[in-house]
Amino acid sequence: MSTFLAYTIIGLSLGGIFALAALGIVLIYRVTGVLNFAHGAMGMFSTFVAWQIFYGWPHPGLAPWAVTAEAITVGLLFAMVLGLVLEFAVITIGVLLTLQSTASLIWKNNQYHLPIYIAPQDWTRQVAGVPIGANYVVIVAVALGLAFGLAAFLRYTAFGRAMRAVSDNPTSASLWGVRVDTVGAVSWMLGSLIAAVAGILITPFINFDTTSLTLLIVDSLAAALIGGLVSLPLTVLGGFMLGLLETYPTIWIQSLGFPRLIALLVILAVLIVRSPRGLPGVAK
Amino acid sequence: MMPGHIVRFAVAIVAFAILARLPVGLDQAFQFDAALALIWGFGILSLVLLTGYAGQVSLCQATFAGVAAYGAGMTVSSMHGGYLLGIVIGVVFATILGVIVGLPALRLHGITLAIVTLGIALVFDRYVFQDHIFDWFTGGTGGWQVTSADLLGIKVDSSQHLLAAYDVLLALFCLVSVLMVNLHQSGAGRRLRAIRDSEVAASTMGVNLTRYKLLAFAMSAGIAGLGGSFYPLIAGSVSPQPFWVFTSLQLAAIGVLMGVRYVPAAALGGLFMAVVPDVLTRYGHGTFMNRFNYDISFDWFQIAVGVLLILQLILLPDGVWGDMRAKLLHARGAAQRKPAREAPA
Repeated sequence: MSTFLAYTIIGLSLGGIFALAALGIVLIYRVTGVLNFAHGAMGMFSTFVAWQIFYGWPHPGLAPWAVTAEAITVGLLFAMVLGLVLEFAVITIGVLLTLQSTASLIWKNNQYHLPIYIAPQDWTRQVAGVPIGANYVVIVAVALGLAFGLAAFLRYTAFGRAMRAVSDNPTSASLWGVRVDTVGAVSWMLGSLIAAVAGILITPFINFDTTSLTLLIVDSLAAALIGGLVSLPLTVLGGFMLGLLETYPTIWIQSLGFPRLIALLVILAVLIVRSPRGLPGVAK
Repeated sequence: MMPGHIVRFAVAIVAFAILARLPVGLDQAFQFDAALALIWGFGILSLVLLTGYAGQVSLCQATFAGVAAYGAGMTVSSMHGGYLLGIVIGVVFATILGVIVGLPALRLHGITLAIVTLGIALVFDRYVFQDHIFDWFTGGTGGWQVTSADLLGIKVDSSQHLLAAYDVLLALFCLVSVLMVNLHQSGAGRRLRAIRDSEVAASTMGVNLTRYKLLAFAMSAGIAGLGGSFYPLIAGSVSPQPFWVFTSLQLAAIGVLMGVRYVPAAALGGLFMAVVPDVLTRYGHGTFMNRFNYDISFDWFQIAVGVLLILQLILLPDGVWGDMRAKLLHARGAAQRKPAREAPA
């Protein structure tokens, strides 16, 4: 029983990461119609920037500001490049390749295991004999908080309304005076920031390198598909579900690759059970 | 036989005669690159069929090549079959996987298909090619070693007779290229193009979507597998690294970069993908590229692919070959005071 509970906690925190990464994907897809295959790479790059400042430079306190600036810049650059082309999904693959190998040049292909702690390390609580560290609590709280925060932002603020208007119909939104380009750029920056948060939060749990963080995109896309690429609450639920589904088999199957198979099966199940026309915007 | 067919075969034979002589005087590493260029050329050719002709997205073409490479390696090393049998088994394995990937594709298109194929590439990269359950197929952590091999009585292997393997690959590549151009003009090619333009319209006109989509996936996987099954022969062994998920992404990126609707772009792309990393390694040492003191070829090459892809999508939307061809045809058409022909090949 305590094994099961321990794996549940690990699964929930892993799922929180997937949920966070998927939130950014869904936000960008809803507003701009671009499915961002480079989302994992963007999060990876921000994570390594944070790591560099945290451990490599004399002022670790600057790390949050520097990462925020970096993530916003990457998002803005992305939005500007996308303004120039038509083939959106392909260009995100170009960005993925560029970001991944740039990071790999700078930080080498090593595995990193010095985590960036956000939560206090001496805080733990016992639940049914299983110690729960602050890292786990923070992930779940941040994932839930960001999901509801974003949903409230979209619903109750003027800018959120503008974002929803652009996502429904960019042309009529622009006729009503919404600055479509600005709204798109802001959602890219927000998405990039959320990816950075997800990447930094995962560092206490895995040995990370430039490829493994980049390839988290597949799990995040699976979670995003559970939410139909639109619904923020369903996406978060999907992330937690996927985290649990990927974690429980590791009780019996010691294999690094097996969770990837589960992610693929979840993707296939979602896409085949829901007709592709059930996914808004995908059928075009 | 139509005159067009004769011209195409003549062009292929002349191309073979010239290209077969090219790597003769070069050192062994460049000869290896020449053979590798053809293997990746097959990979991009398979994408020309699938994406350029039939309009289906795939991010797992290197996986098809990898499955064929492991199939061939398994046949030769573990079952002690001849290499010809290895190639046949490799292509069969890849084709079967192609049909399996094609099945979900019957209900999906565009972005969703890209997600599924990316997932498949990742599962094969991280699970099938690396997990101990599949040791019978992958030969364990060491992979399969192919030290010497015969192909129809010709000695072809990585150490001594690399050029023989290159010639066989080149002949096959020229043949498949001609067949691909012929396919483009044939009834089946027109049906595939109809699917690319609009699935609904194609099925209204009586095109059997199930049949032709599966056919496109099977043929595409078979072509990628034909190249991949030669990998153990020219490299001497198989490992997961050449067929990992980033190779699939690079194949897709380079295919689009060179012009995914055109057969010659595949040769161009294969050459780019095999030679550029090697040239970077050879001549990059001691320059600014080496400042980070790390194996420079892979990373700088991948940065080049990413940046060139972004620039191409902005500046040359039909790919390097496609836009070059359009300019040439335009110039010729202007000279003859005749509009440029439409049909791309």
